[in-house]
Amino acid sequence: MALSTGARTNGSSATVAQRLQKELMDIMMKPTPGITAFPDDENMTRWTATIDGPSSTPYENLVFKLSMEFGATYPYAPPTVLFKTPIYHPNVDFSGRICLDILKDKWSAVYNIGTVLLSLQSLLGEPNNSSPLNGQAAELWDKDMAEFKRLVLARHKTPEELDAAGL
Amino acid sequence: MDHATLVFASVFPVPSLSHTTPTPIATPNLGYTEPGASFGSPYAADAGGTQRRTVLRNLAWSTATRFLSLPKDLDKAPRRIKRPPDVEEALDYLLVGEGTGREHEEGIADWYANEVRLHFANHVRQGLAEAWDKDIELSNAWHVLEDTQRVLDQMQNLYRQPFYAHILPFVEQAAANITIRAGRSTDNLEAETVGAAKRKFEREIHAVFAHSLPVERFSKTLSYVLYDAACKLFRLQVRLDDVAHAVPEHIDTKKVRRRMMVLLVGLNRVGLGQDEAQRALANAMDKLLDAYIASHYLKVDWYSKQSVTAQLRVWIENGFVPLAELVLECLKCDPASIPTLQRKQWQEMALTRLGRARVENLFDFVTNWDQSLGAILDLKEYLRLDGGKEHLKGSFSRQVSRRLLHPGATTTYILNVYIYIIRAFNKLEPKGVILQSVARPIRRYLKEREDTARTIISSLLIDLNDEASVKAASTGELSFEIASEMAKPFTHAEDADDEASWNDLSWQPPPYDASPEYKKSKVEDVIFFLLTLWDRDDFINELKNILGDHLLKCQDPEFQKEIRLLELIKIRLGEDNLQACEVMLRDVLESRRINETIRQAGDRPQNQPPQTPETLGPRTPRPRRAAPSTPPAKPLPGPALNAQILSSFFWPILRDETFRVPAEIESLQQDYESRFERIKGMRKLRWMNALGDSRITLEFDDRTEEFDHLTPWQVSVVYAFQPQPGEEKTGKGKGKAKSEGITRNAEQLEEILEMDETLLHQALAFWVGKSVLREVSPHTYAVIERLDSSTKDSDAAAAAQEIAEVQAAQSTTVKSQADLLNERKDVYMSFITGMLTNQGNMPVVRVLMMMRMMVQGGFPFGAEEVRALLGEMEAAGKVVRLGGDVWGIGK
Repeated sequence: MALSTGARTNGSSATVAQRLQKELMDIMMKPTPGITAFPDDENMTRWTATIDGPSSTPYENLVFKLSMEFGATYPYAPPTVLFKTPIYHPNVDFSGRICLDILKDKWSAVYNIGTVLLSLQSLLGEPNNSSPLNGQAAELWDKDMAEFKRLVLARHKTPEELDAAGL
Repeated sequence: MDHATLVFASVFPVPSLSHTTPTPIATPNLGYTEPGASFGSPYAADAGGTQRRTVLRNLAWSTATRFLSLPKDLDKAPRRIKRPPDVEEALDYLLVGEGTGREHEEGIADWYANEVRLHFANHVRQGLAEAWDKDIELSNAWHVLEDTQRVLDQMQNLYRQPFYAHILPFVEQAAANITIRAGRSTDNLEAETVGAAKRKFEREIHAVFAHSLPVERFSKTLSYVLYDAACKLFRLQVRLDDVAHAVPEHIDTKKVRRRMMVLLVGLNRVGLGQDEAQRALANAMDKLLDAYIASHYLKVDWYSKQSVTAQLRVWIENGFVPLAELVLECLKCDPASIPTLQRKQWQEMALTRLGRARVENLFDFVTNWDQSLGAILDLKEYLRLDGGKEHLKGSFSRQVSRRLLHPGATTTYILNVYIYIIRAFNKLEPKGVILQSVARPIRRYLKEREDTARTIISSLLIDLNDEASVKAASTGELSFEIASEMAKPFTHAEDADDEASWNDLSWQPPPYDASPEYKKSKVEDVIFFLLTLWDRDDFINELKNILGDHLLKCQDPEFQKEIRLLELIKIRLGEDNLQACEVMLRDVLESRRINETIRQAGDRPQNQPPQTPETLGPRTPRPRRAAPSTPPAKPLPGPALNAQILSSFFWPILRDETFRVPAEIESLQQDYESRFERIKGMRKLRWMNALGDSRITLEFDDRTEEFDHLTPWQVSVVYAFQPQPGEEKTGKGKGKAKSEGITRNAEQLEEILEMDETLLHQALAFWVGKSVLREVSPHTYAVIERLDSSTKDSDAAAAAQEIAEVQAAQSTTVKSQADLLNERKDVYMSFITGMLTNQGNMPVVRVLMMMRMMVQGGFPFGAEEVRALLGEMEAAGKVVRLGGDVWGIGK
């Protein structure tokens, strides 16, 4: 039985890492279907997450990758979350930035990676069309769902295609 | 030349008789006319005297040289003591009279030296070359040298004789004349002149001799001869056997000594005792010192465990130095005695070599501590010499890394060696600086080993007086050394900070070579070193696990050893943080009291009808957090129950399989529980059925057997073979007519007992091994009511017993690695899924690395386990193998 010689680094980054490790453990203990997340490397502050598009929405059967970055003040400040997979959505712009209140001013320290991803998953099915980042999408969502769906599929790329593109 | 010829020749000089080439009688050289001078009479230009002198000199020269020339067989030629008158005259003329060499003219002495050179080259050298041209065998070295010396000595005498007899007297006369002329009548000058002439001649001869021998070979041969002589001399003088040289047993040292001296003096006489010989001596002494240390001294004093350095010093002083002096004296070197400073240097040199020889084998000495005390003491002196410490550290570290810190060495072995190192180096250097530096890699390595802590703590718990545990230690699982260290009385050192103590009159600065973190350990205690391998907290955690396991298995109702161990550790590590261990200890002690109280209270109303032949002995389910019990000695007809009450908060994670215990036990448990709650103010008990220890008696148709130290699940399984109320009831002994009793199959049992399949099969195998059950058909077992003689059963029993033993060995109260992996498999799998989904395809190595970094609480498994997990997931279609070791998420 090895005695764990835990690397103890001082400062807030250590507590952030600890918190993130605990969150990772929680996610792994109780996985949510359709949502996974995992750190990119050992320093734990950058993660990649994968969410499945919710069923009976235009995003059904699509897989989206996101990047999450946690600052030194996490969980008191929200993580920076971006869509890595190109997505056509009223609240996401073409570079993947997301307009979601809990990632901005409504952030609270009780949120965690799991809840953020869950919120994003539901955002796919219920866009907030009152403050769109993509005006055309917001408009089409209300008026022409078929066209919206076509544009969603046109913009979407599978993880394999993304890999091939070197992203 | 026969005598007659010689006589004739002495009267009538016959040039043709001369074998060499003395200057022939020839037309005198009359010189040349000066360029530009008129041709005339030869006497015209010069003064007549010069011309005449030249002629005279030539004549004299011719006569003298003919007389002095050396015949071929010099040794056989008769000595010519008398000079014929003409020769006398000629020599006188040449050496004393007018004919003495002027500038540019060759003197007769020089000519003679040259003659000697030629003679030697032509006639003697050949013989010597035969011996010296090829390599000289060691066995021949003495002879060759002695022969050479003899030949040269002889030649020297022969060459000298004419010189001394015929030339020196004239030189002397000449010197005397000069003295008279100068008016200084000092014999001194005369003697000096003669001496100079003599010396010059000798030098010439010696140069000839020296050049006739190959320098290197001569030096080496002489060196060997000296070495050989020294070896022979010392072997008796020191009275130690030198096995390396197969010299016959009885050697007359006096003879050897004389032989050597004669040879050396002789060599010196023929001029071979100069630089080359001294170099050879140096060489020989160097080798001698090595040989001496390598032979006699390498015998470490294993018996009296003393240092041998004193002996070495005495030998240098009384053996080595006198020998060197003797040789130098024979060679007539100038300072024939060795100065004190040099002696000291030699002693140091000898000690250095001894030290180096010891260091080479230091690892062996350390592992053979403490028989090797003598060797360690030898090294103590070596450490004081220049560079000794560094060499020792470097060399020993290399030995350790090559011979100790490799996967082939068991942890126990490494720990034992580490303990020896601590002990040996404490002796070697009590300040502990060297120990600290050589122990660092070992400590680092031990920390990496997974079972180090377990081995140490388990070893601490060995009872030296208990045969069983001593046996366990001898199998190599546990370190006996640690146990015996623990048994030593512990003197608690003062904790006062020496550095700050102004009253400490014995204060000393730390050693100059100490590292900054050096702190003199006040405790020369091995346990201290072992316990400080880790951070205290880590160590205590491990201690908790092992102590827990140990306490549950322990048979001693008083727990004396455990109490003592805990006290000892407290002294060494401080009391704080050890509460958990104390609580554990108190738990088991208190449980005993509670058991007694409860049993007393329960004896009266409790009345278990002895309805079953299989009487369950003391069962020990665990309250609140499990408790195995010690078997009560009471052979009650009804089952008895003892419990260990453990405070779950403080104990490590224990095995917690659930299954149904026999009904009687269950009711006992409930009873116990209610009483406990009454005593302890409604505190709840949770039974941990997987832990425990039981004793039962089984009654069969033909026999009764008792079993001790059974695990609860084994008891539960065998109890399930009791007839159920609905089943055929054959009275007390079931199935009297048949040899087989109740039959059950595995599925049934699993259902009845709600027991895990692995556990069930383990228990079944155990009972088959004990010839209690028999597998009548696959997965169906029956009780063997009558043992018949058929070997079938016993074969099956033997096989099953083997299995059961293996399984039992694997089961411990604290969870095993495999259990852990199984239990957390889901988490690990979701880790792998998450990793592969988000980070793309990965090789196993990287998966393993990520797991180690990411899993909270660590991932104590290797690539093999990861592969197994991946394989399982592949079977479930979750991942796919992408060739090689790379895996990706399945589509």
